[in-house]
Amino acid sequence: MPVAEKKKLDLNRREMPKQLPEIRRHNFNEVALGYSARAAVEEASRCIQCPKPKCVSNCPVEINIPGFIKAIAENDFARGIKIIKEKNCLPAICGRVCPQEEQCEETCLLQRKGGQIAIGRLERFLADWEAQQGEVELPQMEESSGKKVAVVGGGPAGLTVAGDLIQLGHQVTVFEALHKMGGVLIYGIPEFRLPKAIVSREVNYLKKLGVDIMTDYVVGKTRTVDSLMEEYDAVFVGSGAGLPWFMDIPGENLNGVYSANEYLTRLNLMKGFLFPEYHTPVKTHKRVAVIGGGNVAMDCARSAMRLGAESRIVYRRSRSELPARLEEIENAEEEGVIFEYLTLPLQYIGDENGWVKEMVCQRMQLGDPDASGRRRPVPIEGSETVFPVDAVVCAIGNSPNPLISATTPGLEVGKKGNIVADEETGKTSRERIWAAGDVVTGAATVILAMGAGRKAARSIHEYLTS
Amino acid sequence: MALNSVNKILDFAIEQEEEAARFYTELAAQMASRQMKKVFESFAKEEGQHKAKLIAVKQGKKLLSAKEKITDLKIGDHLIPVKLQSDLTYQQALIVAMKAEKAAFKLYHDLAQSADDAGLKELFLSLAQEEARHKLRFEVEYDEQILIEN
Repeated sequence: MPVAEKKKLDLNRREMPKQLPEIRRHNFNEVALGYSARAAVEEASRCIQCPKPKCVSNCPVEINIPGFIKAIAENDFARGIKIIKEKNCLPAICGRVCPQEEQCEETCLLQRKGGQIAIGRLERFLADWEAQQGEVELPQMEESSGKKVAVVGGGPAGLTVAGDLIQLGHQVTVFEALHKMGGVLIYGIPEFRLPKAIVSREVNYLKKLGVDIMTDYVVGKTRTVDSLMEEYDAVFVGSGAGLPWFMDIPGENLNGVYSANEYLTRLNLMKGFLFPEYHTPVKTHKRVAVIGGGNVAMDCARSAMRLGAESRIVYRRSRSELPARLEEIENAEEEGVIFEYLTLPLQYIGDENGWVKEMVCQRMQLGDPDASGRRRPVPIEGSETVFPVDAVVCAIGNSPNPLISATTPGLEVGKKGNIVADEETGKTSRERIWAAGDVVTGAATVILAMGAGRKAARSIHEYLTS
Repeated sequence: MALNSVNKILDFAIEQEEEAARFYTELAAQMASRQMKKVFESFAKEEGQHKAKLIAVKQGKKLLSAKEKITDLKIGDHLIPVKLQSDLTYQQALIVAMKAEKAAFKLYHDLAQSADDAGLKELFLSLAQEEARHKLRFEVEYDEQILIEN
């Protein structure tokens, strides 16, 4: 019986409960609280099960979305999570941080009527449900191939490659530069958006599958890629985009001016907000300005607010151009982050001890559309404004750390330092070296890194078995 | 060389483009990485195209009108000048280019201010507009490649 013919469309997207803004702005606990089983079933039951679902083709890893939603609607959560895990080994993470509104949910047929299915929330529900059941069922493993693969970087791309190749029977070792696995999931995304226990759970799952993990191991310093190749049959590079950009304006060398990487790493990886439970205190500030308008900027501004600061986003364009997810912008607004739109820092002024004390900004206006149709910010003469600040966080973007490209002769890199790799296979200019994720694309999303990692894993497997 | 005729001014402008191409070619040779060599070589090539256009103007082709409105995004104006060394990044390369084009714009603009002859003033302003357009090309690249999240 075709569901679509019989059922009246239900456009009432079920809201997911969240901590109240006045409470959550004082803690680092997760903001969104997840669906109850009843809400998940209600939400899943709204899906009209399109015969040609566009949500699937708009998912970078092509999860059988209608399949797992149907399973939820039928109260068969075990079947639902199994369907997701056929394509996505990190559903608890993707359900939280994927930009679903630009991917699967954007092409949901109900989106046209304003009632798109909350696919990400349902994915998260199943992953959390599975975690609550205790031991996670291990998949069937292929027989050992006798081949060894080195995975450089324990972030989303590396985790995906390791998970896929170990199941295919290859011996996998992940080399992670930091003392904890997870890459940007651990050092970048704050606890209130992605609890670290979830990342640890996924890493433990890989360990149970048999993946060897070497932390505090900086490939390019501790050992080069070429040295790894003497021992391993293939090397995958998924070392991310960890080199922060600055604006190159006067005063960026003052104390109190941070890169977003440093600021977030101190909080997320080193747990600075839990001092003295953790031994690395983070300096608290009264007035923090965060430069930039992406998800990283929102994370920094919301973290600063949780540490008690007046927190201000300074962005050169207007609200409608903010590259951050709408959900994160709204969360930041609700929590009281101040947004200074069409504002550009020109320089930072320091006090007699070399600490930043003021930020000189210029107001902008959007110019006429250019040949590409974009309206670009143009300064308004004489509009200079001074803001008192005692910390500035620069969150304007990152590029890959040059360590691996500089120590691997013959590895082709692009003009922004990204490793050049085939989009479909992850193959680089060097034999037996593959790369994917942010190290290839520049800073992008978790799911794109996973999708590219999956393609690279497929290509590595073909190479190892041919 | 006194810049008191159309041909002399155009010869001067052509020399300026040659000088810019030389500057980028030398910078390309100094770069440690292959991709940054390519970046500066492409900048040098663009200067060669500017020179070719000026040669065509000498032969009758029209320059941009002095009244043409070219947007000045002023992205490079407040950035710290780059210290030239062998490990420049793409961001730094674009800053070098934006500042060089701005300097060229200012040169022609100042020459226009000091010119008495209306025709020559107009020519200097046209050359300034050409440089403003070159600068805008680098500003747009910087806006799209470096200021992605800002």
